[in-house]
Amino acid sequence: MSGPAATQITHLFSYYDVRLLLLGFVATFALALVGCFAGFVSGFLVAILRMTRSRAMAPVRAVMFAYSMLFRRVPFLVTLMLVFFASQAINANLSTFSVALISICLIAAAYLGEIVRSGLESVHINQWDAARALNFSYLETLRYVILPQAWHVILPPSFGFFVMFIKDTALASQIGVMELTSAGKVLSNKGFAAAPVYGTVLMLYFLMSYPLSRFGKRLEKKSAATRNR
Amino acid sequence: MTLQFGPILEQWRYLLGGAWLSVQITGLAFTFGMLIGLVCAASLSYGRPITRRLVSAYVTFATNTPQLGQIFFLFFALPDIGITLSPYSAVLIGATFNAGAYLCEIQRAGFASVRRAELEAADVLGFSTPQTVRYVIFPHVVKVVFPPLSNQFIVMTLGTSMASIFGVEELTGRTYNLSAESYLSVEAFSVAAVIYVAITLLATFALAIFGRQVCRARIKVL
Repeated sequence: MSGPAATQITHLFSYYDVRLLLLGFVATFALALVGCFAGFVSGFLVAILRMTRSRAMAPVRAVMFAYSMLFRRVPFLVTLMLVFFASQAINANLSTFSVALISICLIAAAYLGEIVRSGLESVHINQWDAARALNFSYLETLRYVILPQAWHVILPPSFGFFVMFIKDTALASQIGVMELTSAGKVLSNKGFAAAPVYGTVLMLYFLMSYPLSRFGKRLEKKSAATRNR
Repeated sequence: MTLQFGPILEQWRYLLGGAWLSVQITGLAFTFGMLIGLVCAASLSYGRPITRRLVSAYVTFATNTPQLGQIFFLFFALPDIGITLSPYSAVLIGATFNAGAYLCEIQRAGFASVRRAELEAADVLGFSTPQTVRYVIFPHVVKVVFPPLSNQFIVMTLGTSMASIFGVEELTGRTYNLSAESYLSVEAFSVAAVIYVAITLLATFALAIFGRQVCRARIKVL
């Protein structure tokens, strides 16, 4: 399909190619979004478990500490490959999409667990004592006293991590998940020039992450302003 | 399923050689990225509006698109205009391009942390410009900038793993080779993961000691 650049570009934006790119866009976004939510929930659990004080929980604390340290120090590509080959070794028969989803959830729990923990620790320790004096249970304290105050610290950086996960999912193309980068590879293999194809892919990534990082920065400014009161 | 680490561990020299290459790529990209970041941060803080626009466009673009996509673009699109890059240089340029943007953001935050009143105080005390930079600006900037910088160094070390996709034989690339030769994929990638953890931990400690001793920045390890 070698022709002048203009015809190539009109060919590139034909129905099926645009559809492929849009499906890739949706897959990338879905991976990052689900990873972020699952990571948030499990990261919250990790943070709570790491903040326990009792002696009986010491082994759990150690495991959670090791988990959140290890998964932040292994490249996403290696995590992906480990999950991929391990799922084959135990005959789990997972689709490549679920392999990517599992690995993104694994790292998301580690990264967001750290964010949630720093948020919870930013609330002064006296608040816990005050809540206990008012006869709040542990869960009530978390729900009504700690979380409303920690929220401003937790939320802005998690948008940064959302953007980071969007960018990390590009590596999932390596195991054959049909997301945005893979769509670019397919189009490039179809014979389109690399510059318009990867240029479009990069623009689509930008369209996805820019509003999010912009929103995160705005939240950050807002919450910083309220804290300086 | 039984795990056999023996055949992989026998190849430790090969793997550590790959790890050394990873560290080299990180070091080079970090050094060049620091220079780009410094120039960009300076022009963001003190430049003319048009340069500020250009620099902030570069920073937003580079931080909001995946490094893998950027390297794909460099590696596959540039040959069309007559620039053919080797895999190694494509990865290095991509990593530097990406690092420059992040390091620019970090250094700009450092510049912003110097208060105007302190500069005026230095002026009143008769400090020359080099003295002001050395004794007033530098200590402040380093203190603010050091923790995110060492964090960025770790992130970049992890980022070099994508060089394997372009055929550079660093740690991940060599792990691919080993796993293809021996069919011991899980074992090979677990060993690679352990080496990555070791490298980044070493880097964290080394940077923390450096920061404490040389830059007098307070750094929490782990």
